[in-house]
Amino acid sequence: MKFLPYILRNVQRNKLRSVFTGLSIAVSLFLVTVLYAYVNMQDEMGEGALKYARVVCTAKQGLTFPVPIAHVDKVKGMEGVKTVVPLAWFGGKYKDDKIPFAQFATDPDHCFEVFAEFTVPPDQLSNFQKDRTGCIVGEKIARKRQWKVGDKIVLKGDIYPVNLELTIDGIYTGPAGSDLEMLFYDYTYLDELLKQSRSQMAGNAGTMFIKAQTPEMMPDLMQRINARFANSEAPVRAMTEQAFRQMFTEMLGNIRVFIRNIAIIVVAALVCVAGNAMAMSLRERTREVAVLKAIGFSRFIVLTLVLIEAIVIAVIGGFLGVMAARLLFQFTDMSMIGIPGFSSFYVPVSTMLFSMLLAAAIGLASGIIPAWRAAQVSVVDGLRKVV
Amino acid sequence: MPAGSERAVVELRGVSKEYMRDKIRVPVLSNTNLDIPHGDFVAVMGPSGSGKSTLLNLAAGLDRPTTGTVTVAGTELNQLSESKLTRWRSQHLGFIFQLYNLMPVLTAFENVELPLLLTSLSRRQRAEHVETALRIVGLQERMDHFPRQLSGGQEQRVAIARALVNDPVLLLADEPTGNLDAAAAQEIMDLLQQLNEEFEKTIVMVTHDPRAARRARRMLHLEKGTFVETELDALEAAG
Repeated sequence: MKFLPYILRNVQRNKLRSVFTGLSIAVSLFLVTVLYAYVNMQDEMGEGALKYARVVCTAKQGLTFPVPIAHVDKVKGMEGVKTVVPLAWFGGKYKDDKIPFAQFATDPDHCFEVFAEFTVPPDQLSNFQKDRTGCIVGEKIARKRQWKVGDKIVLKGDIYPVNLELTIDGIYTGPAGSDLEMLFYDYTYLDELLKQSRSQMAGNAGTMFIKAQTPEMMPDLMQRINARFANSEAPVRAMTEQAFRQMFTEMLGNIRVFIRNIAIIVVAALVCVAGNAMAMSLRERTREVAVLKAIGFSRFIVLTLVLIEAIVIAVIGGFLGVMAARLLFQFTDMSMIGIPGFSSFYVPVSTMLFSMLLAAAIGLASGIIPAWRAAQVSVVDGLRKVV
Repeated sequence: MPAGSERAVVELRGVSKEYMRDKIRVPVLSNTNLDIPHGDFVAVMGPSGSGKSTLLNLAAGLDRPTTGTVTVAGTELNQLSESKLTRWRSQHLGFIFQLYNLMPVLTAFENVELPLLLTSLSRRQRAEHVETALRIVGLQERMDHFPRQLSGGQEQRVAIARALVNDPVLLLADEPTGNLDAAAAQEIMDLLQQLNEEFEKTIVMVTHDPRAARRARRMLHLEKGTFVETELDALEAAG
């Protein structure tokens, strides 16, 4: 600690160089933080969803294939199932929207039992359950679009050949990090319109969300659901919500490997940049290092001082990048990006800690060679050196 | 050669030093013997390449002799490992350089405090030592100034305070007035003389400046790696 003032003064010695080194680390770690946050956020939300004991059921062939609505009642009767709702992605456009927000046809009576983390005022929920063309919207999207209870909205079908004319019956809220930009409406209304238009999509839902009686019952329940429909015309694949979220992530490719490779390249480049800056700084200080050693600073102390200096610069840069990522996504509307899972994008604390550790590791790696060379400086030669 | 004193702070016995330059052996000191007793103030003079700086480096343990032994304050430096030698230097030596070699990012106080960071002294104790050292060199009022805010003479006084602060047995000064004007050089030599006379510091000073050398108790002259001692009186007489 007693060496800290000296280290901090050295960090500020060449302000411009330190600023640029710090900024290069900040920008790069911003990128790494965002990439890792996307993966970690999916994991964190999936793990968080475990406590809600939800099993997601899609068609075995994939998400683009329908699950017959008749499956809902069959699953409802199975042991260990508390309740089941269908969830059909409508994907309609509102006014001039180019990218649809999340709109789901579901069962109004049980939807908020399955999604227990969301809260709807009882009177609004009651109205929704009685109103076949009603809907409930998330607090965030309502605020963004200035919707209020009683407003009427029209969603133009894109996937489905029908338009929905809905009345906002209620607004749901939820804990921090939850998706408050969805719209839920009555599945029977969609099905009725599809039947009227003689669409083959009638009688089907995209997924089923099943609430198990306890989280411990989920593995067995998933097996039994899969087995129950294995020989039917529409076999299904039951999975945890975490696996379901991961499936979305994997739709973008093997994103984990992709992100890891990008991170490795970024880190390697940063180590070179920061290492070069550190080496330049030390080269200019050869005489000072020699003086330190002459007055009794050991090789180990010199090495440690240089390493800590490199780590301080990297950690300051890393902190700026990580905080920039955290604050940017906290105050920016990410639903406009249109990538699945980005509408409620946030940077988890675990990702921030990881990035800070990465910054420290970059500092350490970038400082090793300059520090080693500084520690090896001969006092006699160093004192002769005129910069 | 002046050798044989019982209470010598610096003892060189049969010291030779050779350097290799492009595979050519260059002798710098040859079979040198020297005793510098406690409280002495020795000026080492000689032309460039005569071995003055090498002598200082050997006495400081910054370099090792090719043959012979160097004993300082009772410790034979050849016997110490690199790390022990470094620690030994921090406890027994004070350095004064021609170019002051202060850390530009540190204040006068912090520069003087540097050697004490290697000790187990508390912050308060360190501050007391630093203030005392700065008071001795007459810069207690400028302890918060950075080197760039000080004159050359003041910088050298801070460097002397840094050399003094751990109360070393031996002060080694390499051209301490070499970068100063006449008035500042006079002040520095007054200070070194005061340290020698009042505080009984043993000082070995390498210099090209005869006026500075005259302030020492005795002068050693190096010619091609061999000592020629000249009494100051004789120097005065020689004009």
